[in-house]
Amino acid sequence: MKRIAIVEDEAAIRENYKDVLQSHGYLVQTFANRPDAMLAFQTRLPDLAIIDIGLGDEIDGGFTLCQGLRALSPTIPIIFLTARDSDFDTVTGLRLGADDYLSKEVSFPHLLARLAALFRRCEQLKAPATPDNLLTRGHLTIDANRIQVYWRDLPIELTVTEFWMVHALARHPGHVKSRTELMQEAKIYVDDSTITSHVKRIRKKFIAADTEFDCIDTVYGMGYRWDSQSS
Amino acid sequence: MIRLPLGLRAKVVILSLFLLCLPWLGYQYVWEMEKYLRHGQERTLEGTTQALATALHERPRLFDSQASFLSQVEKRKDLYAHPLSGPIQLDGKLDDWEPYRSKAMHYGADMQLMRGSQSSLSFNHMIGRYGNYLYAFFEVTDPTPVYRGRNSLRVDRNDYLAIATLDGSNFFHRYVVATQKDGWVNAFELPADPQLSLPALPEVRIQGQWHTTALGYNIELRIPLEMLGGKISFALHDVNNPKNRELVGITGTSRTDSPDNLGTVLVPSPEIEAIIKGMGHNSARIWVVDRHGRVLARSGDIKNSDSIWTKAIGNERPEGAFEHWVQEYLYPLYYRVLTKPPEDFIDGLQDSTELEGSHIQRALSGKPGSTWRLTPDNKAVVLAAASPIWIDDKVMGAVVAEETTHGIRTLRNRALEKLFNVILTIMSMGTLALFFFASNISSRIRNLRDQAESAIDAQGRVKASISPSQSLDEIGDLSRSLAGMVQRLSQYTHYLENMSSRLGHELRTPVAVVRSSLEHLSMLSLGDDRQKYVDRAQEGVSRLSLILANMSEATRLEESLSQSDKVRFDAKAVIKGCVQGYQITYPGVALALTVDEGDYPLRGVPEYLAQLMDKLISNALEFMTPGTPINISLSHSHKKLKLCVTNQGPLLPEDMAERIFDSMVTVRPPGQDNKPHLGLGLYIARLIAGFHGGDIKAENLAGNDGVRISVSMPLESAL
Repeated sequence: MKRIAIVEDEAAIRENYKDVLQSHGYLVQTFANRPDAMLAFQTRLPDLAIIDIGLGDEIDGGFTLCQGLRALSPTIPIIFLTARDSDFDTVTGLRLGADDYLSKEVSFPHLLARLAALFRRCEQLKAPATPDNLLTRGHLTIDANRIQVYWRDLPIELTVTEFWMVHALARHPGHVKSRTELMQEAKIYVDDSTITSHVKRIRKKFIAADTEFDCIDTVYGMGYRWDSQSS
Repeated sequence: MIRLPLGLRAKVVILSLFLLCLPWLGYQYVWEMEKYLRHGQERTLEGTTQALATALHERPRLFDSQASFLSQVEKRKDLYAHPLSGPIQLDGKLDDWEPYRSKAMHYGADMQLMRGSQSSLSFNHMIGRYGNYLYAFFEVTDPTPVYRGRNSLRVDRNDYLAIATLDGSNFFHRYVVATQKDGWVNAFELPADPQLSLPALPEVRIQGQWHTTALGYNIELRIPLEMLGGKISFALHDVNNPKNRELVGITGTSRTDSPDNLGTVLVPSPEIEAIIKGMGHNSARIWVVDRHGRVLARSGDIKNSDSIWTKAIGNERPEGAFEHWVQEYLYPLYYRVLTKPPEDFIDGLQDSTELEGSHIQRALSGKPGSTWRLTPDNKAVVLAAASPIWIDDKVMGAVVAEETTHGIRTLRNRALEKLFNVILTIMSMGTLALFFFASNISSRIRNLRDQAESAIDAQGRVKASISPSQSLDEIGDLSRSLAGMVQRLSQYTHYLENMSSRLGHELRTPVAVVRSSLEHLSMLSLGDDRQKYVDRAQEGVSRLSLILANMSEATRLEESLSQSDKVRFDAKAVIKGCVQGYQITYPGVALALTVDEGDYPLRGVPEYLAQLMDKLISNALEFMTPGTPINISLSHSHKKLKLCVTNQGPLLPEDMAERIFDSMVTVRPPGQDNKPHLGLGLYIARLIAGFHGGDIKAENLAGNDGVRISVSMPLESAL
C-alpha cells in the first residue's frame, strides 16, 4: 500500500483529501504544520507527499518543507496542492524540486489521476522502457508509461501538467489544440494566460536541450499545434 | 473681478512697476530742493544788494541832488545821459548813434517853448556819456535853415541852439551854437542875464559839427562833464526869413532863460560806477538806480552770471566707457524731459535807462524786495532783488541785482541726471533680480505641478512618485508633503489593487473546503431529491471558482506583463490569425476584417495582443445585436497602429466611455445569463494596450446604432 503524506493547515480540506485518498486505498498521514511533518519524514519517508505552501504561520513553509524533503530523498514524488496560483509561486515550487503543482480547485478524480501518474512514473523509471508505449514524432519520443519525454534522446524534465500538454499536442501533429482543450488534456483548470505561460516554459525546457527547437507553433486566437515539419 | 491669465513672473514684473514711483519721488525731491535753492538764491541776491547799498549809504555827493529831490521827473524835460559804449566821432553824420537811436526822443510842436505859427521846426534828440564828455545830437527837421550872417557879430539872428546849464557850483551859464556854414562849430557863451545876447564869447570846450541834410540839419556836440551840474536845457531857435531874420519859434527840452526853468540831467555817476565796479566780479548784474528808477550805474553781465554755480559743480567729462555710454545715450533721453538752460536769451533790460518792477517799488519805499520774471522770449527766468540806499532817512535810490536761474537749473539737471542714473541702475537690477527670483519660483512650481500631474494618471492610478525637494522654503515643504501624499496614496492604491487578488486567494481555501466536501457528498449515493441540492451547490461553487479565477487573472496578467520580454513581431499576422480563429469558433457570426496596406511591426508580446483581441471580440459578441456583423479594421497613421472593433447594439451609457475600462465595472444589465461578469475583460484589454505603449477608448458610433472600441499603439520604426 502506498503511503501518502498530506501537509495542510486547513483541517477541513486535510480531512476531505484524507478521506478520499483512503477510500481509494492509499495509506494517508496528515500533518498540520511543517515541523511535525519534517519530524515524521526524518523518521520515515512516505511514498508521496502532498504539500500546501502556506502552513500556519509560515507563509512559505511548504517551499521550505519541499527543500528539506528533497534533501532527504531525490526521488520522492512531491505535489504542491495550494490556493496560490501565481506564476511566481508555480515556478518557485517546481524549481525547488516538486513534480507537480496543483491548484486547490482540482477535483478529486483529477487529483487521483495525477497521483496514479506519478506513482506509475516512479515504477516505470525502475523498469526498462517498453517500446509499445512509446510515441515518436521526429526527434520527440514520449514514454507515456514513465511520464517521460525525450528530445533527440535527451530526457526533458517536464512536470506532469507539462507532460500531458506536450502529449496532447504531439499526439496529432499539425492539429490546433485550443487552450481549453489543452486544459482538459492536462486536467487542470486555469485561465488562458496560465496555459500561455506553461507553453512558454515547455518551449524553454526544450530550447535548453536544443537551441534549434521550434516545434510548438502558436496559432494566434486559436491555440497551439505541434509542427513536426520544422524539426 | 477680472481674472487675468498671468503667471507669477508677469505678476512680479507688474508689481515691480511700482519701482517706477522712485523716479517720480526723486523728481519731486529735486523739485523741492530747487525751490529751496531758489529761495536761497533770492536771499543771497538780496544780501548782495544790501551789501552794496551799505557802501552807498550816506554819500549824498554821489547822487544828483537836483533830480533826486524832485518828486517826479518829466520825460523829455528831465534828461538822461545814456552810457555810450564808445566815443562819438563828431562828423555831423548820425551813424555812430545808430545803436542808441531807440532812446532818442522827438520834440515837435508840443514842445514849442515860444509859440510861433510860422515855425514848423521839430527835432530828434538824445544825450549820451562816454568818458568825461557828454555827447548830444539834434536831428532837426527845418525846411528853411537860416545860417548866421557872414559878417554878423550877432549869434541870435539865425537858427541856433541855445544851451543853458547850472554848473557844479550852481552858477548859471548860457551858450549858443550857431554857424555860418556846415562843419566844425564851437559854442559862444552868453551873459548869464537872459535879457542880454551880447557879448558872445567863444567857448571852445563845447565842440561839434553842423551838417545840413535834406530835411534840415544835424548837430553833434561834445561837452565836458565838468561844465555841467544837475540841470540842463537845450532849445532850438528857428528863423525862417533870411531877410528880416526874425525869430519865429523855439522848440526845446525846457526854457533856457532862468535857472529855475531848466530840466534836470542825470549823468550816470562815475563814482558809483567805480564803487560797484568792485562788484563786477560778482555773479550778478548790478544796477544802481535813483529814486525815479533811472539807472545811475551798471555792472556785470547777466548772461555770464551763472559762472559761480557751474564752477561749484565742476564740468566733469566722461571717463570710462560706461560713463561715455551714459552720456551718449541716456542724457539725450533725460533732456527730453529736462530743460537745459539756454545759452542765449533775449535780455529785455540790456540797455535800459529806467528800471521798473515791484522789487524796485518796494526798495524805493524802504524795504528790500525781490521778484522773478521771465525773459521776453520765455527762455530764462531772471531773479531780481533790490535794496534801498539811505541818505538821512530818505531813500535816494536802490541797488538792484539780477541773476538768471541757470545755475540752479544746471544744478538741478545734474542732480536729476545722477538721480536718474542711480534709479535706472537700481530699477533694472531690482527688476532683473525680481524677475530671476520669480522665474526660479515659477519654474520650481511648474516642475512640481508637472511632477504632480504625471504622478497620477487619468484613471487616478499612481504612476510615479514625486521626488521631494531639498530646499527649506515653503515650496520645498509643499514638494515634500506632496511627495509624502503621493507615497501614501500609492501605498493605499497598491493595497486596493491587491485587494482582489488577496481576496481571491483568501476565498480559495474555503471554496476548496466546500468543493471537496461536496465531492464527497456526491460520491455518496444520495436520493435524487437530495442529489439535486448537491448539484446546485456544486454549480454555485464552480461559479465561485470562476469568479476567483477571473479575479486573479487580471492580477496575474499585470505580474506577468511586468516580467515579459518584448519582441518585435508583425501585428497584422497576429490579428489576421486571431480573426481566422474566431471565424472558425463562431461560425454564426459575420466577422469582417479590413486591413490597410503596409507593415505593422510592434514591440511587445504577440500572445498578449491575441489576448487583447479575445477580450475585444468577446465584448463585441456579448453586446452585439444578433444577426449584425462585427467589423474589425486595422490601419496606421502617424507611426501608430489603430485597431477598431465595431459592433451594433446597445449604446454606451453617458460618462461611461472612460470607466468601462476600469476594473470591476460592467454595463451589462443584471441577470441576463448565468455566467459571472466581473467587468475585467476591457480592464485586461487596457492593461495590454498600456503594456504596448498605447491607449484604448470606446465611443458610440456616429449613427448611434453601436459601439466602437479603438486601440492605438505606437509602431516600431521599420528597420
